[in-house]
Formats: sequence, C-alpha cells, structure tokens
Amino acid sequence: MLTGKNTVITGTLQGIGKATLEYFVSNGANVWACAQRKDDAFEAYCKELEAKYGVWVKPVYFDLTDADAIKAAVKTIQSDKQLVDALVNIAGMARDAIFHMVSMDTMKLVFEVNFFSQILFSQYITKLMLRNPNPSSVVFVSSISAIDGNSGQLAYGSSKAALIGAMKTMSKELASKGIRVNAIAPGVIDTDMNKVVPQEVIDEKIKTMDIKRLGKPSEVASTIAFLCSDLSRHITGQTIRIDGGIK
Amino acid sequence: MSKKLLEGKNAIVTGTARGIGHKIVEVFAANGANVWACARKQTPEMDVYCKELSEKYGVEVKPVYFELTDRNAMKDAFKSIMAEKKPIDVLVNNAGITYNALFQMSNEDKIKESFDINFTSPYLFSQYVIKLMLRAGQGSVVNISSTAAIDGNSGRSIYGATKASVWCASKSMAEELGPKGIRVNCIAPGITQTDMLSSMTEDVINETVMATDSQRAGEPVDIANAALFLASDLSSYITGQILRVDGGM
Repeated sequence: MLTGKNTVITGTLQGIGKATLEYFVSNGANVWACAQRKDDAFEAYCKELEAKYGVWVKPVYFDLTDADAIKAAVKTIQSDKQLVDALVNIAGMARDAIFHMVSMDTMKLVFEVNFFSQILFSQYITKLMLRNPNPSSVVFVSSISAIDGNSGQLAYGSSKAALIGAMKTMSKELASKGIRVNAIAPGVIDTDMNKVVPQEVIDEKIKTMDIKRLGKPSEVASTIAFLCSDLSRHITGQTIRIDGGIK
Repeated sequence: MSKKLLEGKNAIVTGTARGIGHKIVEVFAANGANVWACARKQTPEMDVYCKELSEKYGVEVKPVYFELTDRNAMKDAFKSIMAEKKPIDVLVNNAGITYNALFQMSNEDKIKESFDINFTSPYLFSQYVIKLMLRAGQGSVVNISSTAAIDGNSGRSIYGATKASVWCASKSMAEELGPKGIRVNCIAPGITQTDMLSSMTEDVINETVMATDSQRAGEPVDIANAALFLASDLSSYITGQILRVDGGM
C-alpha cells in the first residue's frame, strides 16, 4: 500500500507513533522516524525494521519545544536528498486538569507541543514536498476530544481542535500543489497516554461505544496508512474519527 | 503484509452495471474478494465483465440480477445468494438514482420513487444480508450517501434528503449492530465522473469542479478505494462515520 513512499513520522518512540512506524515499514514505506530523544534501544529497533522489511528507517531526534532543533532536524532530512511523500504528525502531549485549574503555563506548553511546533515542522516539510513531482499527503493526529469536548481535557482538546482548523486551511491552500491534508480523531486507544485514566472511567466510556472495546494503536495506524496512500487521492480536508462509534 | 486487503472475503455490491458500483466490483476483486455483483438487468457485457474479473484475479465474481424495488425479486436474489452457504463479510449499498429538480418543481411520484430506490430498498436488502452477517458475528456495511446529504445543494432537495436518510439510518444501525461485530459506515462522494453527472448542466459541473480544492471531479476508482478501506480491516475500529470523498468541497 505504501511501497517506496518516503515518510516523516513524529512521535515514534511509543504508542500510536510506534505502531504507525511498524505499519508503514511493513507496507513498504521508508521512514524518517522522529523521536524526542536519542535512545540506543530505538536505534537498534530501527535497524531491525530495516533488515526485516528491506526499507530504510532513519531515526531523527528533536524536541518539539525547541524551534532550533526542529530546524536542524529538517536540515538532516533534507540532506538525505530524497523526495518526501508523506508527513504524519503524531507526537503530542496531554496535561489533564479541569477548566479552572488549568494554568496558563500548561496551556502554553500544550499548544507549543501539540500545535505551534507541528505547524512549524509542517511548514518546513511541506516546502520539501513542493519539490516532489508526485502527489503527497500530510496527516495530523487530532482527537475526538477536539470535536466532542471532554471534561478535564481543556488544554489537550483545544490544541487538537486548533489542528483541525489549520488542517482545513492547509488543505485549501495546498491542494492545487498536489498536497493533501487530513486529520484523524482517535477515540480511546489502548496506549500509555490512557494508562493514567482510572479503569472505572474507561469502563464507562466503553459502554457508550458501538464497538465495545478500546481501539488498538494498529487500528489507528491503518487509517493513517490509508490517508498517506494513493487509495485516498481524492480525500482532502477531512477528519476521520477512529473511535469505535463512541457517543 | 503483502496480503490483499479483502483476501478471502465475500462481498455483495449493488448497482454494479455502471459507474461507481462497476468500479467497486473490480477493485474488490483485485483485492482478493469474491463478489456478488448485483444489477437490474442481465446483459452480456455484465456477464463477460464478471467472468473476466474472476479469471484475472482468481476470485469468484457472480452477477445477480434483480430490480431492487421488486420485493419478491429482491427476496429471490437474496435466497440464491444464501443458497451458496457462504458467509458474507461485506455489503455495499451503492445502487441509487439521481433526481434534479428545484424545490417547487419536485413532484410526488419522483419523491416516492427516489426514496424507494435510494432508501427503502437498500434498507430492506440490508435487513436480509445483515441477518446472515449476524450469524457469523462480523461484517462491514458501506452505504453510499452523498455530499448533497450534508451540504444541501440547489435542485438536490429530494436526492439529498434520500441520501441523508441513508446516513441517519447508518448511524442507528452502527449503534445497534456494533456490539454484534458489524460495522456500518457511509461514503459521501462529491462530484464524480459517472453517468449521473449527465443530469447536471455543463456549467453547473464546471462551477462545482472549480470550487473543489483539487480542481477535478472524482473518478469512480476514488470512491471504490474508499469503499475498499471501509470494507476492509483497515477500518476495524471505525463505525457510524461518513467519509467525504470530494477533493475538498
């Protein structure tokens, strides 16, 4: 589905990002696997994936709160002199607190990581995509919290809603240049991010789902793969919910 | 991972003589599915098409001919499918008619006919097929709705309403059937290059296409690929959704 597609994926150390990295390489994509910090086990893991699937997997390290590091990372990617076919912005953070308890420092940090830095990084990477004669695709990972609202997720939900707004405008501006831009909105996915949520809360949520279980990271990854593949070449400006039909 | 996306799955697709449905059959066959390709009338072209796809992709593509609005014919068709004693994994309700008329000009016969073909018939057909899916405890239903159902467009009050009713029913079905392992989703194609377009004037088509971000009308394969996504396990955690395939309208 993704054979030969050169893809930038952020947040690949764990959770949805790690599952997406695996899904992409197992479907033939080459990946710049972006992670927050250098990690020996991760380096070895990338080498393993390369050997197993006959693709290249290049680790790229930068912290999303460090604009200089983002720029340096883009230069590293650029210096590989490969066409960029897809960008998947997964890295993000959650800082849960009820409305009156959310500090402005928290708001700023969450927006820095979940929104501003992703826009900055996407500006750089889509500039590289403009040199690609083939169509390319950008995917943002938003959240159902951005659409539905979710008690305790003011900062997280707002930052993810901002991504949807940006995605729609980017889609309009970039379509004529052959770049599609879409978002996904995962529901409750079985990742470390949700490990902090008490089991009773999770159980209550499952009751409101049509599919009575949590989503798996690989089920999010497969939709991202669809959006980066040519199967979705006429889909742009959309947000796809991957939520098991949660109410 | 090189496994085909619908390897070994059995699918029923309606409205396969032309346009989007025709392409869905091909895309599904190419991805390893056996397909019952439903169409209104038997034609030599359709027989040949199914035979050629079967040989090319090593799957079984069988034409099934019946008029959706003829309840007895629908029942007989379903019985003939059931007689093969195969599980049904996928149902794509694609057959439909278009109707373009301004609000004040829309007539009752056309309203009834539109709802019968676009809503009631696929609804009843789904009742039959889903009964079989329930036995297997799994399945994916893909209903073809329309961007007209979401946006509202001049001259599309009836067509849009029929397609909105499909979407509304899909959401209820998703909630009822989700716990039983059956997913139900919709596709909302935007302007797509099919015979249905001939019901619109060239000016309207051009204007609509120019208003899309991608500056082109969709092709049947674009819709077929979205149906492939929703039919396959790629979308195993997606239900009750409507997916616009419209090039950004």
